[in-house]
Amino acid sequence: MNAEFDKDQLTAEAVAAWAIAKKDMIIYYLKPNIIVSGLLFPLFMFLAFAAGKNVPLGYLIPGLISVTLLFSSSTIEPVSIPIERRTKTFERLLSAPVSLHAIVIGESLSGFLYSIGIALVPLIVGIIAFKTTIVFPLALIVGMLLTAIVFSTMGTLFAAYPTESPGDIMSMLNLVRLPLIFVSGTFIPLDAMPPLGAWIAYLSPLTYGNDLIQAAYGHTAFFFPLFDVVMLVVFFSIFQFVAHRLYAKYND
Amino acid sequence: MHAIEVTDLEKRFGEILALDHVSFSVETGEVFGYLGPNGAGKTTTIRILTGITTPTGGSASIFGRDIVRDTIRARKQMGIVYETSNIYDDITAWQNMMFAGELYHVGKQDREERGKELLEIFGLWDRRASRVKGFSKGMKRRLTLAMGLINDPRLLFLDEPTSGLDVQSNLIIRDVLQTLTEKGVTVFLTTHNIEEANLACDRVAIINRGRIAAIDSPERLKKTIQSVQSVEVAFEQGSAKILDDMENLPMVSEVRKVGDKVRLYTEDPGALLREIMLYADSHQNRVVSATTLGPTLEDVFIRLTGIERRNREGGFP
Ligand SMILES: Nc1ncnc2c1ncn2[C@@H]1O[C@H](COP(=O)(O)OP(=O)(O)OP(=O)(O)O)[C@@H](O)[C@H]1O
Ligand SMILES: [Mg+2]
Repeated sequence: MNAEFDKDQLTAEAVAAWAIAKKDMIIYYLKPNIIVSGLLFPLFMFLAFAAGKNVPLGYLIPGLISVTLLFSSSTIEPVSIPIERRTKTFERLLSAPVSLHAIVIGESLSGFLYSIGIALVPLIVGIIAFKTTIVFPLALIVGMLLTAIVFSTMGTLFAAYPTESPGDIMSMLNLVRLPLIFVSGTFIPLDAMPPLGAWIAYLSPLTYGNDLIQAAYGHTAFFFPLFDVVMLVVFFSIFQFVAHRLYAKYND
Repeated sequence: MHAIEVTDLEKRFGEILALDHVSFSVETGEVFGYLGPNGAGKTTTIRILTGITTPTGGSASIFGRDIVRDTIRARKQMGIVYETSNIYDDITAWQNMMFAGELYHVGKQDREERGKELLEIFGLWDRRASRVKGFSKGMKRRLTLAMGLINDPRLLFLDEPTSGLDVQSNLIIRDVLQTLTEKGVTVFLTTHNIEEANLACDRVAIINRGRIAAIDSPERLKKTIQSVQSVEVAFEQGSAKILDDMENLPMVSEVRKVGDKVRLYTEDPGALLREIMLYADSHQNRVVSATTLGPTLEDVFIRLTGIERRNREGGFP
């Protein structure tokens, strides 16, 4: 399908994308499995790491923010899209007079906003309970926003798999998400990893988001901040492109 | 300009040839019925015409816009009501309406006015603030239709609009269709329900196994099989044996039980009626009513699709 780029159509696409995001927020934000996976799971991971380490808890806050963003942003679409495939409401979106890009972005938008909201919890708890200080607020804002965008788009990408059962997508997704916790420098610093692990870290978008967030808290950054930003933008573009292709392919 | 123009459309799903070089056109303002048995390719046709599925061959255009190359512009002119009532259970009827309006980029004031008007027409205004979850099947169907009309489409696709609905919903939907056609909206509707097609459609296409078997107005289609006439008789005392006896009468080509009546197909209804009276007399029975009938659209359908009638089921009640 061709995108037609007149200004009126662009407005129509934005209105539709926002409508899709709003609809997801109303319907899915309070679903129990979304809350468990988006909020409680990162918290348990945090506690597990905290229990096994001799560092102050506050030191783990940036890692917790990264992991929370990873999980909460990529949880809505893998649940909502299979359900909507089953009820055929997804077909309603696919047949609307907007491009597939608008649909993919609209879907990702709800995960994005959700995860920003959820990630404020560890951020604020960190400031109040552990007196964490943020040295570079800009790095924190950019790091959080980009991480949320990248992983909400990844969630939408995985949800392209044509199934009507959220469990199918969740298990594929967790195959990717769980290892990312360990190879992205969130709770285990990159320099404490074996060489193979460090090499894999380059392939993880979470590495770059987490790097920015760690830098914001005054921890050692591994890369130049601008490099992190570029890498996150590259990952987002790839995910968006692949998601678009997959939705087009599985549409028949 | 045709509202819909379909040329040589083909759709393969792997080995299955769901549409086998289908061609037809629908005029602006027409109510076009697409009639066929299960698996004939009705839904596949609608999915192609609405740009969800890409054809593997041929082309289709909506008001002159190619549905594959110019999908978005083609879609702006249409309202779509799919086979399944695809509405959101977890939000209210009103929220569903507004969502549909936003998807079609209907301005806020317009969509609120139209939304109210449509919910009233479909008898759902009082329930606008209720979550859809508790709605009956008929209410859900009506809401789906209302949502399909939020963008004031020039062309409406209806996939089995009234199948399995209650009387009230059926009546409302028929009324709305009537009003739409009076306003000049083109309607493309698929159905199994031959009577519905007969009543509502200007023209009917009969599709079977992915091929168009015939396209014409219901009346003209019936004329093509004028030789199929029938006599419908009700006997005072019905019994299973009567069906057998009727089948053995001369001139009867086929016997079918229709409720408490028997329908006998024949080429000579007059002569058959005499035979039936003689039969009643000699069996101490009485004919309560007898009607001669021309071919129905169903007869055309059965003739063209080669479906077997399962005429001997059940016997008399
Ligand atoms: N996605 C698909 N993959 C494979 N085969 C399909 C697919 N969709 C439809 N078909 C096949 O194409 C044929 C036509 O199906 P279609 O749904 O268009 O029939 P229909 O006329 O709408 O039937 P019904 O009256 O049951 O709704 C069937 O044989 C069906 O099995
Ligand atoms: Mg169908």
